[in-house]
Amino acid sequence: MRGLLAFLTLLVALLFAVSLLIGPAGFGIGESLSALFGNGGEAITLVMQEIRLPRALLAVMIGISLGLSGAALQGFLRNPLAEPGLIGVSSSAALGAVLALQTGLAAAFALALPLAALSGAGLAVLLLLLLAGPRGGSLTLILAGIAISALAGALTALVLNLSPNPFAVSEIVFWMMGSLADRSFTHVWLALPFMMLGWALIMTQGRGLDALTLGEDAAGSLGIKLGQMRLILVAGVAASVGAATAVAGAIGFVGLVVPHILRPFVGARPSALLPASALGGAVLVLLADIAVRVAVPDRDLKLGVLMAIVGAPLFLHLIYKTRRSMG
Amino acid sequence: MSGFHIENLSVLRGTTKVVDDVSLELGAGELVGLIGPNGAGKTTLMRAALGLLPHSGQSSLNRLSPQERAKTAAWMPQAREIAWPVSVETLVMLGRVPHLGAGQRPSETDHAAVGAAIKAMDLQGFETRSATELSGGEQARVLIARVLAQDTSVLFADEPVAGLDPGHQIATMETFAKSAISGKSVLVSLHDLGLAARHCHRLVLMDKGRILADGAPKAVLTAENLHKVFGITAYLSETKDGLIFLPLEVAK
Repeated sequence: MRGLLAFLTLLVALLFAVSLLIGPAGFGIGESLSALFGNGGEAITLVMQEIRLPRALLAVMIGISLGLSGAALQGFLRNPLAEPGLIGVSSSAALGAVLALQTGLAAAFALALPLAALSGAGLAVLLLLLLAGPRGGSLTLILAGIAISALAGALTALVLNLSPNPFAVSEIVFWMMGSLADRSFTHVWLALPFMMLGWALIMTQGRGLDALTLGEDAAGSLGIKLGQMRLILVAGVAASVGAATAVAGAIGFVGLVVPHILRPFVGARPSALLPASALGGAVLVLLADIAVRVAVPDRDLKLGVLMAIVGAPLFLHLIYKTRRSMG
Repeated sequence: MSGFHIENLSVLRGTTKVVDDVSLELGAGELVGLIGPNGAGKTTLMRAALGLLPHSGQSSLNRLSPQERAKTAAWMPQAREIAWPVSVETLVMLGRVPHLGAGQRPSETDHAAVGAAIKAMDLQGFETRSATELSGGEQARVLIARVLAQDTSVLFADEPVAGLDPGHQIATMETFAKSAISGKSVLVSLHDLGLAARHCHRLVLMDKGRILADGAPKAVLTAENLHKVFGITAYLSETKDGLIFLPLEVAK
């Protein structure tokens, strides 16, 4: 268990370094690293500090958010098919961003788009808790989440449908595919407080998630306050995944696949899966963001697209393996 | 404090009272069987007494904070849920959750309690096996071990022996009897009236949300009660091997 966390941390550090060294500018390794600390030409220092560093940092932050949220929701809902998008936060954040792009608000000031997305995520959470009722059950939460996702998806389609401006439409479509290209430290500083709040909230719930292995009734009798736990988890997922969607668009599969892959390595304990899945998410997003730059350097391949293309077959393989082990 | 009591407990589902003004007291050292037909309100009564359901009336357990209550009363629900393929030892250790402070790792005491529970349920050698790969009866024993590991003065179990082989049914009832002898109060809902008659000190008969009879097995399992509540006739006899109960046929 401790070995696994150390291995994943090492992998994150390694991929972080690789991510910093890859880009169209084609600098040497030594040159790049010294520029990172401000010892180099003006142009290369700018590229390293203002373009590549925030990109790599965002990959780690978003990976942690998605992996952690996926593991937390799978544990809470006791369902290996749960993922952060299930509670409607990502689609609502996307709707907020789409509205900002469509109305031209996004062009008005730099943070307009992510702020609109965060507002979308916040509204979704309020609606979710209102719909799901006070008693902390998981089924009503799933149903409410699906309803909100459907509504946000429909409204996004409506905006695209009625948009008089084809450029806005293509901008929206590309934004929704999810990417880390051309992000800056402004995005890092905007997302980081929300994400850290979300991570902290989720990490407090490990023991409750373990107890839920026995079902809601038994967990309740073990002193776990299910209503409070659900509130904390929903808030944590919304803050971290809402912020991730706000700065990078919708990136799927990380929150679904990572907990699934790592579960056997932590003895299936939901609390142990939380940190492992957070690090695993960072590994996967860094890897994918390196891949989009290496695979087709001259075309802007979107991170979310690559993730889905790689993630879906991987997931099919996992399902096949699970099916075989279940006989 | 040992034992527990509930007073005038009622639970509404819609407009029907599924538990209707029930009062019950269990002293330390009692093993009480809760019997009654399907839908009599046995499960609802136990869940409400633990504060897991909205209800009116009093329960001595429900006055405690959730954490304190979890140290006082353990609950084994009828649904035998094991969501993840965790090891048997990890699962039984969940019974120690109420005893651990925030971020605290299991101590020697916790490991000892888990070891004793695993031994009591005849699960030695299963510790590292994945709980979801066991048979239904073995899983039931693991879940009972979890309840024992919680080491509370009050123990509620809903249909704990359903699906167990005869040997383990008897062993489980004897484990509960041993817990009672050590000073705990054990309330077990049972459909097997033969086991209930043999192993419980006292039976509580429920029908339509109310307690119909409460007392020694022989006083509760009367021909009249059995006919009225279960619609059956039965053979009941005190022998040199103890009380023998056998349901015979559906009453005409």
